[in-house]
Amino acid sequence: MLMKNLFKLTSLMLLVFVAQFSFAQNRVITGKVTDSKDGSGMSGATIVAKGTRTGVQSKADGTFSISISSTVSTLVISTVGYATMEVSVTGMSTVEVSLVGTNTSLNEVVVIGYGTQRRREVTGAISKVSSDKLNSIPVPSFEAALQGKAPGVQIIQGNGLAGSGAVVRIRGIGSISASGDPLYVVDGIPIVSDQFLRGNGGAMNQNPLSSLNPADIESVEILKDAGATGIYGSRGANGVIIITTKRGKSGKPQFNFNTRVGIATYAKRQKFANTTEWLQLRQEAWANDGRVGLANLPGGYTFATASQNNTDWWDLLTQTGIINENNLSMTQGNAKLKTFANLTYSNNEGYIKSNSYQRISGRLNMDYNVTKNLKISLTSGINKGSNRRVPAAWDGGIGDAMSSALPFFTVYNPNGTYFQNGANPVRRIQETKRREIDNRFIGGLSFEYQPIKNLFIRANGSLEYVTAFDDIYESNQWINQSNPDSGYAKRFPYWGTNKNANLTVNYLTTVKENHKFNFLLGTEAQEYIRKGYLFEIGNFEPVPYWENASRYRTRRDKLIKDRQTGTPPQLTEKALEEYTFNSFFGRVNYSYKDRYALQLTARVDGSSKFGPNNKHGFFPAISGAWTMSEEDFIKDIKFINFLKLRASYGIVGNANIPAGKYYGNYQPGGITYSGNPTLYLNYDGYGNPDLKWETMHNIDAAVEFALFSSKLTGEVAYYNKQTTDILMEPGTAPSNGVGKVYRNLPNSKILNEGIELSLNYKIINKAALKWSVGGNISKNYNEVLDWELGPDAVSGGTNDTRVVKGLPLGVNYLVRYYGVDPADGLPIWLDVNGKQTKTFSLDHRVFAGSIMPDYMGGFNSSFEYKNFELSTLFNFVIGGKIYDNSGKYQFMGVSKKNWNFRETFFDRWTKPGDVTRYPRLAYDITTFPGVPGEDQFNSTLFLHDASFLRLRELTVGYRLSAQTLKKLKIKTLRFYLTGSNLLTFTKYPGGDPEITRDFENPQDRNLSPNVTYLTAPTQRTVIFGINLGF
Amino acid sequence: MKRFYSNLLILTIVALSTVSCKKFLDRPPEGQLGETEAFKTEADVKAFANGIYTLFANNEFYSGRHQVLNELLGDHYKGDRFTGDYSEIFKRQNSFFGGTRDAYYQLAYRIITDANLVIKHLDLATISKNQLEGEAKLFRAMAHFELVRMFAQPWGYSADNSHLGVPIRTTVGLEPIQRSTVKEVYDQIITDLLSAETLLQDVTPTGKFYTATKWAAKAYLARVYFQQNDFAKAFQSANEVITSNKFNMDASFASRFSLGLSTEGILTIANQTSPIQYSPGGDLRGNFRSDLGIPGFTFTDQFYNVATARAADLRKAWYSNTLQSGYNVLTKYNKNFFDLPLIHLTEIKLIRAEAGAETGGANLAVAIADINQVMTRAYGGTSYNLPAIATAAAVIAATRNERELELVGEGNRTQEIKRIGARNGTNVDRRNSVWNCNGFILQFPKAEKDANTSFIMNIEGGCF
Repeated sequence: MLMKNLFKLTSLMLLVFVAQFSFAQNRVITGKVTDSKDGSGMSGATIVAKGTRTGVQSKADGTFSISISSTVSTLVISTVGYATMEVSVTGMSTVEVSLVGTNTSLNEVVVIGYGTQRRREVTGAISKVSSDKLNSIPVPSFEAALQGKAPGVQIIQGNGLAGSGAVVRIRGIGSISASGDPLYVVDGIPIVSDQFLRGNGGAMNQNPLSSLNPADIESVEILKDAGATGIYGSRGANGVIIITTKRGKSGKPQFNFNTRVGIATYAKRQKFANTTEWLQLRQEAWANDGRVGLANLPGGYTFATASQNNTDWWDLLTQTGIINENNLSMTQGNAKLKTFANLTYSNNEGYIKSNSYQRISGRLNMDYNVTKNLKISLTSGINKGSNRRVPAAWDGGIGDAMSSALPFFTVYNPNGTYFQNGANPVRRIQETKRREIDNRFIGGLSFEYQPIKNLFIRANGSLEYVTAFDDIYESNQWINQSNPDSGYAKRFPYWGTNKNANLTVNYLTTVKENHKFNFLLGTEAQEYIRKGYLFEIGNFEPVPYWENASRYRTRRDKLIKDRQTGTPPQLTEKALEEYTFNSFFGRVNYSYKDRYALQLTARVDGSSKFGPNNKHGFFPAISGAWTMSEEDFIKDIKFINFLKLRASYGIVGNANIPAGKYYGNYQPGGITYSGNPTLYLNYDGYGNPDLKWETMHNIDAAVEFALFSSKLTGEVAYYNKQTTDILMEPGTAPSNGVGKVYRNLPNSKILNEGIELSLNYKIINKAALKWSVGGNISKNYNEVLDWELGPDAVSGGTNDTRVVKGLPLGVNYLVRYYGVDPADGLPIWLDVNGKQTKTFSLDHRVFAGSIMPDYMGGFNSSFEYKNFELSTLFNFVIGGKIYDNSGKYQFMGVSKKNWNFRETFFDRWTKPGDVTRYPRLAYDITTFPGVPGEDQFNSTLFLHDASFLRLRELTVGYRLSAQTLKKLKIKTLRFYLTGSNLLTFTKYPGGDPEITRDFENPQDRNLSPNVTYLTAPTQRTVIFGINLGF
Repeated sequence: MKRFYSNLLILTIVALSTVSCKKFLDRPPEGQLGETEAFKTEADVKAFANGIYTLFANNEFYSGRHQVLNELLGDHYKGDRFTGDYSEIFKRQNSFFGGTRDAYYQLAYRIITDANLVIKHLDLATISKNQLEGEAKLFRAMAHFELVRMFAQPWGYSADNSHLGVPIRTTVGLEPIQRSTVKEVYDQIITDLLSAETLLQDVTPTGKFYTATKWAAKAYLARVYFQQNDFAKAFQSANEVITSNKFNMDASFASRFSLGLSTEGILTIANQTSPIQYSPGGDLRGNFRSDLGIPGFTFTDQFYNVATARAADLRKAWYSNTLQSGYNVLTKYNKNFFDLPLIHLTEIKLIRAEAGAETGGANLAVAIADINQVMTRAYGGTSYNLPAIATAAAVIAATRNERELELVGEGNRTQEIKRIGARNGTNVDRRNSVWNCNGFILQFPKAEKDANTSFIMNIEGGCF
């Protein structure tokens, strides 16, 4: 296959070679067409001898050669999206023409897999978000800044913990057990974005993406359809996010200093009953259950002692966090060498006390032209992210403040010792410390060799190296040691290498003037290994390991030595995860006269993740575009400046499953029994040699347009994605005795079908006054088309949402709550037939909603008057449901569950005749007929509309005028004030409507966003920044 | 052009060399063995079978969960401090969600599947083949037996026992399967035990009963037949165990849960201190232990009074209402470590006593001697002993009473309520449920039905 293609390529080249010699005529003008923006050569520009029909097109590097009659004195140069230029050629044999873009968005360079294209040549669905838009607000992790900026891309902001990751879904979700996260490619390396490298420790998923420095990023391209992601084969189904770091630009050394300071708090919090209220409510619940006397109280309290306290735990645990970010960058470029360097230091405190994310980061990217046809590029970045962790949700801390830290509990007993007869999150935060330190180095070296004109051979080698330390320190008080110097220090390190090498051959050619070809052939290999120790490293220490690394090393080395010298010697480390990919791919782009474009891609992926019976997969895609505005019949329509239709179809895969799942998991036991060795088949470790990728068939069709002198630009897109061979881990019968097994579920199919619309309108576009508005909205329709398992076969991590044929993925399957019986305050439910009943039963469950929104999007306005600017971004979600799982327990707060009682539940039944939203309170919820237990008290009582509108960003800026800058001898100076999440409009009573909870596994992440369990609300920030260029 | 071709050639070679590197794509997870690597020699099969003992001693089975589930369904404990799954099961209203029950169910089937894997790889075995096959069949029978008792109405619920039991697994496979009838399940259990009885060793190499012998198979047969109210066979199997003279009644009732002091264990999971500490009974201590704090399980005053009614009863030491003020607690498991007998001689004596009384004739005298032996030890003398002329009914009554007291906290009571109910329709439950009410058994994990939508679940609740 490869050989055959290469031969085709060479024969085509020969053809071209010959063709080039067949035009010798009277007078030859040679020249080059460049883009005024960056000086790069422009291919496909039309060069016509004025007054004749003689014309040629510029080649890939922008050069052209035209033979004209000696009478011709002027050439007309034109191309889509650029102002047409006329140049005089009298007495000249060479010309250089620099075209000025009229519609810059059509000419912007878009990064595609293994190459770039100009926007107007793109045949796939790609959204681009540039650096300035990405860095407008401080975010815990760069991906959160994409919110509302690209149609069809759902971003659910991370929760309020520093460094937390957002949930990113591109055009819906078609996976269950396999991760639904897109593939992240940084400067050509598919990086590890797995949120579960640390499981769900401390009720937080450690987000690897937070260790990418947003200040390093030049652009983020979001590849959405098979036309765009087909080149990524078995990893393209969830979309691909390509991150390109900044590189040196031509010109003298230029420096840029950015600094911002600000504050962080929470966007929206929950409020709880105080001690007096709580005690009254407890007594009310006690009496409702028919109990007599004073209710019993937890923590050893009586009504008399409890009522003396009123602790505001939320207040004790939160702060106004200080944000401080600084970065200094340098760019330089000449004919030989281009350099970009950046240094960043930032320390962003969260609103939870002692929670912060500190970043120290450096980058050096260089491009060096060794000879005219050999370029070497270095890409290197190092980032140290230090996350001062706090416990959350079920693990305590701020989670306790919303649950079991009751208002009459206190931090200290009257004698000054810590209160320990119940939750005491302040003690937890003061006496235990946790810090996750992630060091990420990404380096790449690439060689671009041009042996002959228009043939590019690129070889890239890249390495991503990560070391991560999860450090925990428990004080002597916490572990009950009298010696003040003996707290307990623990460190859980892992280290991983991600090696990637690819080789591509790229050949550009034009056949008979109008037929342009771009061939790409490539091969790629990737190897990822992440290792850790086989033993816990911990010891009694006076200080945490991050404060004294030599103590850590001493302890570690001793433990290693103990194992190595033991009898028998024991291993010290092992690969926690290891996988490889080996791939071949090809792409052919063909275009005719800038009107018609066709792209074929194909990739063969082999991976160690797949079972021996399915080692390789083949993924083809085809896409095409018709730039109608190049046709004469459209050219006549004045108000249409640009009109393009595009469509694609392809098969892509999802290989986002843990490594080694195809393989059996038998292990010798660590113990003997009765003196004899043991051997086990680990539960969930049966293996499956047939395991393979998920298969997705993806159709995309779109119209791109620019109207009314390009004031109105936009795109309407339709897509239809059908996923089969669904990767499933649960859903096996527990009586099989081996537990869960990763497998491709037969007869399963999930549909994502949707429409996206994005529009931008320049209302005013004058030198002194500019005002533009824009926005996007998308609708995704999701349906499980084929499914054979029962409704509870798949749940999120905690019994939350379900998968059912004919319904969207992740439906809420709940008993319907009808209301309160005014006579006795008991809840009235609806059974499956909609008949009222006062007996609760799990058999009454119906499909009551979905976590998926109906519509989502964002809209923005950008206003500039002289040197002032004002920009806003709103994002919104319409439809979908939130399941308030912790609200369920908060409603039962005054029951024997002993939780905080949320104020929103005050509207409850207290006496016959009351008409209320919530039923009567109970000390024991199983006194409600049929309720089997607290955990099963799930109903639509706690299901809420997830719609919201949020003022995501608001920026006021001032830019110094050119004259002032000249006086000051600096290039740019800008001051700005930015707020994020300033306003939120929602009907959801549980606080923040954006919920990225702590997830147990990728399946939970796929199916249970919008299911909250004591999730810390998102951050609100206000920052002041200075941007100085010199 | 020449240079171009040579470049192309190099490229092609490089590209093709990566594809042919098959090993590059071969990355079995470190530290894991596939089935073919795991089972290579007889020693591997032995090690695998050996591991199953520790599964029985898992917290989610005989080290606590099995007893907890039975005691929750029973009538000895106060319910108001139970929450979540415990509360649900206590209320005899187990619903199809609940990790406490699910984990138990999974572990029982894991034991069965592991036993089936041993049988699958028996061709590797030579000198230990019979022992391995016997162990596998004993394990499979033990797990099926506990499952059918917990998840199905008891033997005798329907006249021909055609009511639904549990899925029978005798091979390894992922396919969901339907429930068999209770009769089919018991038939399978008895077939396995009878086979194990002939295959298993007579004595272990160490002389300890920490691994399976034919006596373990016989003792389980006695337990199974007794649960079926098949007294003749129960008597016979119990008699064979007792007359083997391999096991002796402990001098003290208190030795049963101890470190090496008991001689009653017919199959015992031993506590091990070296080379690596391995301690069965963790969740028994976790749920019942009462010297370190208030345990989850506390007795009702009603049962506490019954259990401590006789002043002479030395077993009163198993109860306290002062250790944790205001709570009636069990002290049986107030130890850091103990060996865990899965079946012991006291129970076999009690089986022979009741079965002997039920079958009558010459067996009655054996029965009287057995129950008197248990009572003499319990009451520190013969004051409560039955006379040699005691009626069968008196022996049965005394035996049932002693069984309840001897086996307190061992997960015995619920199955007795059902067995006695099935025997002649008598309801002895102190919480006044009918022995065959729907909620007196556990519900199946919902996952079983979700994997197999035609799976028939139990009917829930309805006991009160």
